[in-house]
Order: sequence, then structure tokens, then C-alpha cells
Amino acid sequence: MNARHAAAADPALSLKENQAFPGEWGEQWRAARRRIEQAGYGGAIAAAYRRHGVELALLASPQAALRLGRAVSELAIRAGRRAAAALPEAALAAAGKPAEQMVLTRWFELVELVARQAPESVPPLLEGTGKLLAILDGAGFEAFVRMGLAAGRGDPERRLRFFRREDDEARHFLDREAGMTDFLALEGRLKSYYTALWGLRPAIREVPREAPDHLRRRVGFGGGVVRVPAAFPGFSAEDSRNLYHAALAHVGAHHRFTKSPFPAGKLKPLQVAVISLIEDARVERLAMAELPGLAALWRPFHGARPGGAAIAVGLMARLARALVDGDYADPDGWVAKGRALFEEAFAADPADQDFSRRIGGLLGNDLGQMRLQFDAKTYVVQPAYRDDNLGIWDFADQEDQAAFEMEQMIETARIETEERDDGEPDRQEPDPDPQDEVNRVSLRAEEENGVLVARYAEFDHATGRERPEWCALREYAPKTASAASIARLLDERADLTQRLTALISASRISRQERVRRQTDGEFLDIDACIEASITRRMGQTPDPRVHGRYERRSRDLCVHLLIDVSRSTGENVSGAARTVLDIERHAAALMAQAMDGLGDPFAIAAFCSDTREDVRYLRVKDFAKPYDSAARARLAGLESGLSTRLGAAIRHAGADLRSQQTYRRLLLLITDGEPSDVDVDDGDYLVEDARAAVHALNRDGIDVFCIALDCDAESYAERIFGRRNVVAFSAIERLPEKLPALYLRLTA
Amino acid sequence: MTSMSGAEAIAAQTDYLAEFRIGSEPYYRPVGQEIALFDAAYQARMPIMLKGPTGCGKTRFVEHMAWRLKRPLITVSCHEDMTASDLVGRYLLDADGTVWHDGPLTLAVRLGAICYLDEIVEARQDTTVVIHSLTDDRRILPLEKKNEVLPAHPDFQVVISYNPGYQSVLKDLKESTKQRFGAIAFSYPEPAIEAEIVAREAGVERRIADTLVRIAQRSRNLKGHGLDEGASTRMLINAGLLAAKGIPLADACQVAMVLPITDDPELRDALTAAIAACM
Ligand SMILES: Nc1ncnc2c1ncn2[C@@H]1O[C@H](COP(=O)(O)OP(=O)(O)O)[C@@H](O)[C@H]1O
Ligand SMILES: [Mg+2]
Repeated sequence: MNARHAAAADPALSLKENQAFPGEWGEQWRAARRRIEQAGYGGAIAAAYRRHGVELALLASPQAALRLGRAVSELAIRAGRRAAAALPEAALAAAGKPAEQMVLTRWFELVELVARQAPESVPPLLEGTGKLLAILDGAGFEAFVRMGLAAGRGDPERRLRFFRREDDEARHFLDREAGMTDFLALEGRLKSYYTALWGLRPAIREVPREAPDHLRRRVGFGGGVVRVPAAFPGFSAEDSRNLYHAALAHVGAHHRFTKSPFPAGKLKPLQVAVISLIEDARVERLAMAELPGLAALWRPFHGARPGGAAIAVGLMARLARALVDGDYADPDGWVAKGRALFEEAFAADPADQDFSRRIGGLLGNDLGQMRLQFDAKTYVVQPAYRDDNLGIWDFADQEDQAAFEMEQMIETARIETEERDDGEPDRQEPDPDPQDEVNRVSLRAEEENGVLVARYAEFDHATGRERPEWCALREYAPKTASAASIARLLDERADLTQRLTALISASRISRQERVRRQTDGEFLDIDACIEASITRRMGQTPDPRVHGRYERRSRDLCVHLLIDVSRSTGENVSGAARTVLDIERHAAALMAQAMDGLGDPFAIAAFCSDTREDVRYLRVKDFAKPYDSAARARLAGLESGLSTRLGAAIRHAGADLRSQQTYRRLLLLITDGEPSDVDVDDGDYLVEDARAAVHALNRDGIDVFCIALDCDAESYAERIFGRRNVVAFSAIERLPEKLPALYLRLTA
Repeated sequence: MTSMSGAEAIAAQTDYLAEFRIGSEPYYRPVGQEIALFDAAYQARMPIMLKGPTGCGKTRFVEHMAWRLKRPLITVSCHEDMTASDLVGRYLLDADGTVWHDGPLTLAVRLGAICYLDEIVEARQDTTVVIHSLTDDRRILPLEKKNEVLPAHPDFQVVISYNPGYQSVLKDLKESTKQRFGAIAFSYPEPAIEAEIVAREAGVERRIADTLVRIAQRSRNLKGHGLDEGASTRMLINAGLLAAKGIPLADACQVAMVLPITDDPELRDALTAAIAACM
């Protein structure tokens, strides 16, 4: 009846409508309604608009209801009727949360934006609005929408998954916004915690996103790497925190007390699981003897209780609890048997890991004979802090192919960066840590696709938020060319090398020191004064050098050169026969030569990018490595290609610089153009992100300067680095005259 | 110009020396061969370098040895602004003119004390060279200002302490200085002994001392991974002293270890969590 009524030409307003649209508004509402009804979108849309429009007017304002009308039309045209019909109710949900008009206006705009760029994704976004706004504020919602559009560029399937919140990046973002504690937030702490507890420094990495699900739910280890889930969904922030600590303490107990992997041989999955359980209990017992506080960390995660379904995993969880918690009582015969066997064997020789195998094997058989259901495919170790057991088994026959591949995948992701200790403070007596040695793996040259070494957040200036782990940074082995070409380059203009060396060596960048016995200065040198007066009293001529002053006498500085090798650097410099890259290379070679001669620590790396999933980073020379012919060959071999995702490269170079322990640390970018990448349209986006990356480094006391070659780059470069931190030129001859300006900034 | 002869100076300063004698035995728990080694080195008057991290008992050890050998001990804490005159001595002005004032090193050389230069790398290299002539077979100290060359008393010995984990390129001993010394290595004692020391020095139960030592080991694992140095025996004793006054152990550790040792909030968190694992 309502619908028929609505279809009528110019119906009178209902009582409620009159309330919602007092006075003047009534006429406007009538017009808006009429527009929708007569546009031919169908009755469902018109009815939805009429019903929810009124409510929206009451809840928010009459304007909001009119704005809704425009948005309904827009959606009906761009995203289809289903989307348009869902809009009014979703708008109500949006208005119901932060009931500020401004937010609602922005919400309409965002929905329309999605309708234009990703029409297929409008329905899931509208359906999710209520849930999203329960977690996100207005800006967070905007960040989410923009992320979804950027993540699924040209890939409607991906976008759909994102806006349905099935996509990992979407989930991850929401988890973080919901305040869930994830690995990223705890990473630094957890690494130090692990080292403090166990005196070991394995690489600790988040499980790669592309890993199969069962590997992403629990910690695991192998090959010197500990892999950690990105988050433990379903746990509160506080619990997640404890869970991560508990998990790393547990893995450490294995590293310490599980001396060699168990051969899997022909054991059945259930036996493997039970043996692992016994071994878990054994190593934890030993760990608690050394670190009694671990009991309080682990015990709360053992929630198993008598009762429940008669399935193997249930009993196993109860046995696990019985073995860590002496006060736990359990009537089950199998649990009691396990307990008795364990206590007896542990009392006899706690260091004997073979007993885990023996007892576990027995108990596993018992379970098998009880014909309890056990599904190896869906089995996940309990409780949640325990590792997935792959680390303590040796599947020689590669029975567990998936696991094996996983190990390899992580194996290749290992890099030297993290394990390298450039700042080794104990130069006199380096205590060789065998574990550290084990973890040193170099990049293999044949690594065609690069090795994923880190994910970095990117800053979205439009929302003022970070997109967590947005960029995948991959290290590639640089190609090499003849090292002699670098020497030739330098020989061509030997005078430049000399001038530059002289300039750098003259710069004094260090803490101030007090120098005494000067003819003039900022303070009186008391010792010299006393001496002078004594000499005078003795009737001799006093030494006039009675002053002292503060001076910087040395250079305590390290420099990281970061070379942009994106495609544009392959073009010729205006009015010359050399490419930009040639000049970049020449500048880097000149500086490297000078710094190497002076003994200043320095590193060189190059970068380019091909979407956020492939930011390429090429190490030419590391701080800890010599500037030898191999390094020069890598410098000579740099080639131009792809785009310029500056922020991620700066962040990665910054990570290296952070571990340097000089008085000042300098990142020097050599580039020719503005940051850009094929998956970004917004011209300001990467500029602002780079600016944020520079700020972050500045906050850590690292200076970031830019040499802008041959370009109009100056203006954008000034935005990123600050006006005084950029020098621009296009002929290499200008380097010696331009560089001092930057060095001077360091002493300011 | 007035000046005293060596004998006059000794006469004038005999009382002064008394304050450098060590009356009662300083508690020192031997950790290895160090007492025998030092004994032998002293018999040969060999200059000795005590090498090891801060707060591991070097100072206490010299005190103990001075007592054992019945020698006065003159200790100098070295610092960046210290000059050669601070060690050797200088003329001072007084009402009647100028008067020479022996520095601590000169005093020890004259009177036959053990001179302990604590944290020697803190002093600048041009300062530390004054000990060169005392640490080879000349055993003399030239007092240039006074135009005098002072031969060392037969009982005189130089001992320096040196923390190898500490120095940067800018702060290190000259090779020519290093090579004059014999060295005795110190490190934190093994857990049982360290706990014994902590229990005694802080007056806490052995159980608490054991826990403190476990905690110290956690922090020492972080050396080179965020910390320049782990918690020293001295820090443990400090934590123990607070605990003995009724402060809960976790709080005592915060005050005496975690907060002093690092300003990095992540490391503090990690340490705090590791401390919880120890108790
Ligand atoms: N072996 C030891 N025996 C007795 N006390 C010790 C020993 N080692 C360390 N200590 C205690 O540690 C504290 C700090 O040692 P100290 O000698 O001052 O360190 P260092 O001179 O090496 O910096 C001492 O005051 C003492 O209480
Ligand atoms: Mg385990």
C-alpha cells in the first residue's frame, strides 16, 4: 500500500515526514523523493529512500536526507540498483555512529568515490559500514577505503575480497585499528626478550603472507629462523602480548634443550604430535628450573579441563596441562599414565630427550588403540603459545612436503642485515657466538625475484595514517660490470677526487673537545694561568697561551649513499651525452673514493620499484664491507629501470644507518626526479610518504640530504627533504662546490 | 722559590700517608688465580692492568691486595679533563710566593704506595704518557716544572683499570702504553660466586641473590644487542640493598638496573619481561 502511495504524483507528507522536515524542508524533501521515484530505478530503491530518508533526517538532519537522495542517484547509475537500494540503510548506520554531520558528508563522498572507481565493491562496503564504524573513526574509515582502492587497482576480485574484509591487508589494518597487539608492534621488544632469556639471536620474522594457513597460526622455527604469526586473532591486546612472550620463551626452550631433531621415520602423525607434546613439557620443565617465572607466563594458557568430547586433541591438551601444572587434577587414565611415565623419566634423567620419543610413542599408540578421532590436517598445537613442532622433527623422506617448502621459503628470506652486527662494541675481545654464525646467510646471486626482506608501512597523506606493511622491500643481487670502468671514470677527472677528498677531510663533524693552551679562546685555561703567574713571579716571561676553546677536531660520521636507478635516470642529461645514471655513478664513485681513503664508514645502495609489492634494493657496498673491486664492479653494473618508490627505500637504508654508532649519521640520496610508481595516481602521495620517511629518520637523529641532478626535481625535493637539505646541479664538476654546503649543515 | 727536599717532604707527609693505608681487610672473594698472579707481579714490581667491565670487582680487588701487601693505596679516578699536572703536581701560589704541591702519582712514587689509575682511558693520551718512565725499567718520574727527576720508591707500583668494551677509536690506550703492562682479566664471577658476593655485600638471603644473578645474566645476554654492557655486580648489590630495605624485588630491579642501564623503552620492556621470567 505504501508503494502504491509512493507512486502517486504528489502525495501529502506523513506525520513523521512532517516532523522530520519542518517548514521549508518539507517541500525540498518532497522534490527529492519525487526525483528518485520518477527516475525509474524501481520501487525497492524508492521505498528504501523514503523510509530511511525520514529516519536519517530525524537522526542527523534534513540536509543529510537530501544528500542521501543525490548519493542514491549516483549509485544507481554507477554501481547498480542493488548498491543504490542498500545505501539508505547503510547511511543510517553511518549516521548512527559518530553522529556528526561532517563525517556523514565525507562518508557519502567516499561511497561515491568507490562507486566510480570500484562499483562492484559498493555492496560489501555498505553492508560492512556498521561494523567498520564500530572500529574506525571517520579518518580511519577513509584510510580503509583508500587502501582498498589502492590495493585492488585493476583487480576487482581483490577489491571485493578487501571490502568484504576477507583480504589479509584489510584484516590486518582493522586488527591494528581495533587495538589488537600484533607482532609488528612488539617486534623490537620480542627480539630483545628472546636474546635476554636465551642468549641467542636467531632471525625472528613474521610468517610470510603467502604461507599456508596452518603455518600462520603458530610460531615455528628451523634453519636459524623463528617465524611468528602476524597476530593471534581472538586474543585481547594484553593476552596477545603475553602470548608472544610465552611463544618465544617456548621456542627458546627448544633451542636450548632439544639438542637434535627427532627423526620422523615412519611415525604416524598422531605419534609425532604426542611425542612433540612430551618434548614440549620436557624442555619447559628444564627452562622453568632456570627461569622459574616462566611458569606464571605459560600456565594461564593451559585452559583444558576434564570433560568435553572424547577426541584425541582434547585429551592431549589435558595431558599438556597436567605436565606443566602440578596442581591440576584429571581423572582420565591416559592422562594419569602420561603423567606418571613423564615424572619417572624426568626424575631419572631430564636431559635425555630420547625419553620423549619413547613415552610419546607409547602414549600415541594408546590413543590410537582407543580409536579416538584425530585429524592431522586440521590439527593445531595447543595451547596457542606452543610452536607447530616442525622445528624439532627431521622429515628425511619429505613426507611433509608443504612444511619442507615452507622452510625453504623462509630460508631464502633470511638476510644478513638483521644478524650483522656492525656496531660490535667489543672490539678487543669479540666473543664468537656460534649461533650468530649459523644465521649468516648471504643473498644468493641466482635469486631472480629478489628476496623479500621487509615490509614497510606507507604514509597516506590524505588520511594522515599509515598503511601498515604496505610495501614489500626485496633485495636483489646487483649485476656487475668492469670495476676498471670506475677507475677510468675517476682518472678522467683526478682533480675532482682530490678536491673532494680535501673537502671532506677538512670537515670536522664530531663532538666538541676542549683544547687548552691557546693564544685566544672562549675560556681561561686555569693551569696555564697559574703557570703564567708563577713564571712571572719567578721573573721570567710567561707563556701567553692561557686560553682554551671548544673545537671539533675529527670527523665521526658515517654516510649512506642511496642511488635512484629508476628509468628516468637512463635519459641523457639535458645538453650532454651522459645519462643521469652516469652522473649519479660518477658522484657516488667520487665520494666513495674520498671516504674510503679517509677511512670514513660508508655504504652504497641503489633502488627502484615496480609497484608496492616489489620495491627493489641493491646493495653495492655495506658499512661492514670493504670498498673493493667487487663493490666497484657492482657500482659499475647499476642499470636504469622501473619507478621510484622513494619512501620504502629511505626506510630500508635508515634501518642500516640506525645501527651505526658514529656521532652523526647521514643518508645522502642521489636522484633525478620526483617519486612515482605505476600503481599510484595521486601525485602528492609518494612525495608526502617520502617526507614522512625522512621525518622518521630525523627523529632518530639521522640526517637526510638530497643531491638532485638535472631536474626540476628541486622543488619536490625541497618539499621532501627541506630546502636547506637539497643541492641541485647537473654537471659532475659542480659536485665539489655543492657538497660542502651539505657537510656544513652537519656541523650546524 | 721555595722547595722541600725529598726527605723533608716525606717528613711532612708521613701523617698524610696514613690515610692511604688500609686498616681492616676489604672483603674480596677470589674468583680465579688473580691473588697469586697479582702477588707475583707485585714482587717483580710489574705494572698491572686490570681488564674487565665496570662494577666487576677491580677496585675492590686492588684494595684487598694493598691490604694484603700492606702497602698504602692511592687511587685516582681518571677523567677527560685531567692533565699531567693533576697527576704529577704543580706549583701553587701562597702568601710568600710559590709552593710545590705533589700530585697523587708523585706522592705514591715518593712514598712507595700502589698507585691505582681507575678507568685510565677516560684520561687523554697526552696525560697518560707521564707514566711511561715509571713503567719501564727506569722507574723514574721527571718533575719537569721542578727540574727534578724522582726515582721511584722500591715499593711503588702502578695499577691501572681498563674496560675493553668501552672505548671508541678516539678513546683508547696508546699501543706504547698498553705494552708496558701485564694484564689480569676480570669478568663477572660465575653465578654461584657472584650470588655469594651479592648476598654478603647487600645482606640479602642467598635465594634472592641467586635470583638477582639470574636476572643479571639476562641483561648480559643483551650486550652488543642494544646494551653496551649488562648489569654489573655493583648493580646487583644495589638492587639487593633496596630489597633488603623491604622494596619488592621487581621494583628494586627497576630502580637499580633497568632504568639506569638503558633509555630505550623497548629494551626496558624486554628486560622487565625477562626479569619476570627469573622470579
Ligand atoms: N670478587 C668480589 N669480591 C667481593 N666483592 C665484589 C667482588 N666483585 C665485585 N664485588 C662487589 O662489587 C662492587 C663493585 O666492584 P668494584 O670493584 O667497584 O668494580 P670495578 O672497579 O670493577 O668497576 C664492589 O663494591 C663489591 O661490593
Ligand atoms: Mg614445542
